[in-house]
Order: sequence, then C-alpha cells, then structure tokens
Amino acid sequence: MTDWIRWTAPAAALISISAPAYAVQYMSAAEAQRAAFPSANLTQVEAGRVWKTSTGGIFVLDHVIGKHLYIDYAVSIEGGRVRRVDILAYRESYGGEVRSPSWLSQFVGKTGASPLKVGSDIRNISGATLSSMHVTEGVKKVLAAYGHTR
Amino acid sequence: MDTPDSVCRARPLLGTFVEIRCAGATRLAAERAIDAAFAAIAKVHRQMSFHDSDSDVGRLNREACKRSVEVDPWTYNVLEAALELQRQSAGVFDIAVAPALQKLGLLLPDSGDSENGPIETATSDAIELLAGNRVRFHHSATRIDLGGIAKGFAVDRAIEVLREQNQRHGLVNAGGDLAAFGAAAEIVHIRDPRFPHMALCELAIINAALASSGPLLDPFESFDCLGSSTVNPATQEPTTEIVGATVRASSCTIADALTKVVMIIGERAAAILSKYRASALLVRASGEVFMTPGWQDGMRAPA
Repeated sequence: MTDWIRWTAPAAALISISAPAYAVQYMSAAEAQRAAFPSANLTQVEAGRVWKTSTGGIFVLDHVIGKHLYIDYAVSIEGGRVRRVDILAYRESYGGEVRSPSWLSQFVGKTGASPLKVGSDIRNISGATLSSMHVTEGVKKVLAAYGHTR
Repeated sequence: MDTPDSVCRARPLLGTFVEIRCAGATRLAAERAIDAAFAAIAKVHRQMSFHDSDSDVGRLNREACKRSVEVDPWTYNVLEAALELQRQSAGVFDIAVAPALQKLGLLLPDSGDSENGPIETATSDAIELLAGNRVRFHHSATRIDLGGIAKGFAVDRAIEVLREQNQRHGLVNAGGDLAAFGAAAEIVHIRDPRFPHMALCELAIINAALASSGPLLDPFESFDCLGSSTVNPATQEPTTEIVGATVRASSCTIADALTKVVMIIGERAAAILSKYRASALLVRASGEVFMTPGWQDGMRAPA
C-alpha cells in the first residue's frame, strides 16, 4: 500500500479565490438572444428585461443577488415551457461587495468577447459543492410571471 | 486554454453550475458542440434525478422492489459502475444510502412518508441488474440516489460529445467535477474545504478528470460551510473526520465515486485508489492535509 504524504501548506501563501472577486462573463444579452432564438426577430416588451418573438417565444433577462454571489441569467420560454437557461455572468466575492453598486459597475458593458480581468487567472475551481438552487427558484418565478405572455 | 475561436458557456444543471469550454474549426462549430454536450448532461439530469418521479431513478425507487424496471442504457451503465465500485470498496461506496440522506435532510422525503419513523435500510446488495437494461430490487426498503456518481458520468458523456464533434480541446466542469482534453493543460484551483474563498493548491490537468467532495457551499447566503454531504453506509451518519477530498482519475465517473470512498475511509482508500490508477488529496477536520504520491504530478503549491 502506498504511503500518504502529509503536506504542510504555507498558510501565508494560500491563494485567494474570491477576494476581491471570482468573476466570469459567459455571454452578452445579445449573444444569449441569438443562441436561444437564432432566426427570430425579437421585440422588446419590457425595457431591458423581456422580449418576444413573432412565433410566441419569450426571452427574459434576470439576475439573482445574494451576500457573496451575483448571477445574470437568461430564460427562453416557448409554449409555456422553459426551453433553455443560460448563465450570462457569475460573480463571487468574499468581501460582501456584491450588493454595492460601485462594485457591480465595474462589470457593466463587458461582453462574452471581452473577458473580465478580475480573477481571470483563476479559470477552473474544484472543491465544495455549489448550489444552483437560487437560479432554479428564479427560473420558476420567471416562468410563472412570463410563461403565458402573448 | 483560450484562443479566439474558443467558446465558454454555463447552465444550471445537476443542482449546480455546469461550465463547458471548447475550441474547434470555427466558433459556430464550437457553439454547436457545446449545445450537444449540454443536451447530454440534461439527459443525465432528467434520467438520474432523485426528486423527479418520472426519472429512471424515481421509477426504480417506486417500482423495482415489485417488478423489474427497464431503464435508459446510460442509467444501466451508471448502475453497473456503481455496483462494481461497491464490490471494489467492500461496500464503502453505496448508492442505496438515499434513506439516510433523506433523514439528514440532504434529500427530500418521499411523499407520504411519516416524518419521524425509524428508517429501514438496505444496501446495494439487493440490486440485481438483468438483461435488456432491466433492474430489480430484492428488498422493499431499497432506495437509490446516484448523486455520488451521476455528475461525474454526465461530465464524461459531455466530453465524449465534444470529442465526437472534432473539438481540439475541451473542458467540462460540473460544479467542481471536471474533465479536460487537448494539448494544453487546464489549471484547476482546489478550494480549501475549511475556507472556501481560498485555494489550497493548483493542479494541472491534461486529458484527465478531477472530482471533489466536501462541504455544501452556498455563496449566495454565506461562505460558511454547511457540513458534509457524504454519508457513511456503515453508520448512516455524515462523515466528520475528513472535511474534503479531491480525486484525479482517467474518468470523471470513477473520480466522482472515489471521492466518497476517500471521505469515508480516508487514508485506507490507498488500495482502491491505486487499483483505479487514481491519486487523491484529503483534508482532515484537524486541518492536516494528506496526498498520495501520484498527486504531486502537476501540482503547484502557492509560491
């Protein structure tokens, strides 16, 4: 049987994942619209939030915001059912700045083609199991509110 | 690795955030490959969800103790892998711990269950795999949960799709259970299970898979860890001595399942890890960190 090696990590040199922030921008709103309804013309129903297609498709931009987490996501609805959910941006921060408008403003205008500099050297994380429950609840609310928009 | 034609997308699936990144001949080809890979993950999500009564797992838990139930070939494959891991680990890995997880609030109770009744338990020994993708449970109390292996299986299926779609490199990360292929290494930061906003170390992954088990974390509410999500089948209680385990293996299905074995038996998992040619890192509640000799290949500690 192989022996395990005890490892003493230099405590002072631990890498911080989420201070100031771990942030990823996946798609812009326009990219998400094209991905969800590639050949449709979208008409805005509610400024910056809800669009519809001529064939009854609905596209909703929404976000969930918690103590350390801010997530932008898009829900595409067709025939009263959720067709797809895309995460547009994921921002994790340890310091609790997530709720401050000045902290969020540094991300405004970024698109999927211009990746964020914040936390950009950290691309992949493994470890504790992250819950997506809040987005799932958000999607349910979006479906209840806009699922039958005509 | 990022190139101008690489595309990265994320969706909420499998109870967590699944990120897929790849690069092929064109951006459009990469976007199509990613859509197909997400479809494979959505299929695993649909068939192997414990809470969806129409899923394969839902139907098995309801009917397989009365009659044999036909399942999707993928579900059958996961059950085969799970029972093999149960044999190799002498029962430490067990998909039949669902009743204990329900009792601990880690899974929702069945509708109609009495709230505080004693739980009757059965092990995976009661599960029989029959020809024609049919499954039979030989104990009325058998309830399975594939949460300890299906996420890794979903990652493997998504990677397979990206390869079939001729992508040069690809990465699939389902909330920390991940796999990558291609010429360049993917650098992965391992979260410290005690201080989840910090990383313990970095690991370079080339054509390999990595999975972690540890505390549940909901950064939406706080960075405080919510305790272990791994239950020891021998005691029916959550593990407490080991607070985090990460396993590197050639398949994410194996890596995912072996993290549970390391969480439960710690250093005694060395034999099964070497049998599957896997390496591992574990963190004890005392703060001590241990790793197998093979783990150090590709590891970068903070400078």
